[in-house]
Amino acid sequence: MDQQLQNGSEFELDLGWMEKQGEWGTHAEPSKNGLTLADIQVGSYGDAPVESRNLSGRPRGAISRPGSMPIGNYTVRTKSEIWLENASFLYEEALQRQWSSATDIPWDTIEPLPDDIEQAQCQMATFLTEVEFVAGDVPSRWVSQMSPDFYEARNVLMAQVMDEARHMDVFRKRALANGGGLMRATGATSGFVGGIDLARDFTEMSSRLHLSGEGAVLTIFRMGELMAYNDAEKAIYRLCAQDEARHVAFGVMHMRYMAANAPERREEIESYLDEAESGMLTDAANPAGQLNQTSESLSIMLGGGGKYFDEGFRKLVSIRKRQLQEYQKRVTSAGFGDRFKNGRSRLGQMLENVAN
Amino acid sequence: MAKFPSVAWFDAVRDVYNKDDAMHGAGSGTCNCVVGVQVGRELFQLTFEGFECSQAEKITRTKLDDCDFYLHMTTKDWRNMLDNIQEHGHATDNFTLNTLDLGRVEGLSSSTHNDQYREDLFFRYNQTLQFFFDGSSRVKTTY
Repeated sequence: MDQQLQNGSEFELDLGWMEKQGEWGTHAEPSKNGLTLADIQVGSYGDAPVESRNLSGRPRGAISRPGSMPIGNYTVRTKSEIWLENASFLYEEALQRQWSSATDIPWDTIEPLPDDIEQAQCQMATFLTEVEFVAGDVPSRWVSQMSPDFYEARNVLMAQVMDEARHMDVFRKRALANGGGLMRATGATSGFVGGIDLARDFTEMSSRLHLSGEGAVLTIFRMGELMAYNDAEKAIYRLCAQDEARHVAFGVMHMRYMAANAPERREEIESYLDEAESGMLTDAANPAGQLNQTSESLSIMLGGGGKYFDEGFRKLVSIRKRQLQEYQKRVTSAGFGDRFKNGRSRLGQMLENVAN
Repeated sequence: MAKFPSVAWFDAVRDVYNKDDAMHGAGSGTCNCVVGVQVGRELFQLTFEGFECSQAEKITRTKLDDCDFYLHMTTKDWRNMLDNIQEHGHATDNFTLNTLDLGRVEGLSSSTHNDQYREDLFFRYNQTLQFFFDGSSRVKTTY
């Protein structure tokens, strides 16, 4: 700075950067809910490219730097691979509907429970902590691979990672809050749930995680209010279910976009759904399925204790049926309902088996 | 004093919900959906926009198609739920919306369009809807 002052007018400021601007004169205006992402989709700033060549981390709408080196490993560069119509909306919703596991759960309402019920709650909390670890880990891996040109969808996934962190912590807290503790790991992170992390493609991951996996867990969270023994547990499950429904909405809307804009990938997506139906919805990875530790703990909680296991199991079967029906309707809403009419899906058979 | 069910009653609950900041945090917050409410044979529609419930109106059956989902119970079951809310200041035990939905063979929430994406809004905004009906504890209600 001293040198500059001494040289005086011999040196002129280079303000050339002022000419390198994106679309100018923009006046994004707040809507009823504040200045949302949807409100700033104005002019060229609102245009997500069909194909992104942005490898430098350049914010969408900013001027590129010629000769800049690639800085990101952006393998997801095609709009149809990642897009959904309501990403901006889901992101704002995620931000505005956050909650704290420390202060928004009435922990003081938890009271000592009979041993078998406390053990069942703790086993379920252990299982859900494991599952939520995968649900946070997987999208976070993909975030860094998405072009910044598709930042809306990226932001939703980052919000999801935050949600899953809170789910992990709230179930851990529940396990440690009432005289119990964590129990035996169920191994849920192997098999189908763990397999989500092996997806080679974002849509493959999303169909497994958001549509099948999170849809099944959503039903479990909703069911949580039936097996809650105090207002704290009711609040935990209700609030987790809200978050999970948002993640499922991401999957449904992404699949809907894929179905409409990338018909050449339909068959591939059908195969992911085949896999999901024969795996997640039937095997040991489904907490309401056949995994002893979780289905038995669910039955104990739903029945009101080990003595009422059969009654609890009947409720579990009824909920499992509902889980399958909701899955079927979500897949239909996503644009893949034909599989339930043309014989490709075995879901009808599964529903019959559940009914029997 | 407002009679349940009526637009005046829903307006009174809307007033409580819209003015209480505590009902717009803690997992609640922005909410965008159109909710039908069937009480016996009577039908109402609630519109949630952002942080407020902007409108309550009486509707005919065909208007149920515009609702993302609708909550349906007999007048007696609605009264049992509202009595529980009045007694405790909020729904407890088997009277939360989600518990009522799960505990009833016919469910509490349904739709005429059968689109699960829209039906899922009942789950996505459940805490907001619960806060809304819990707000009825501050409305003097007659039947």
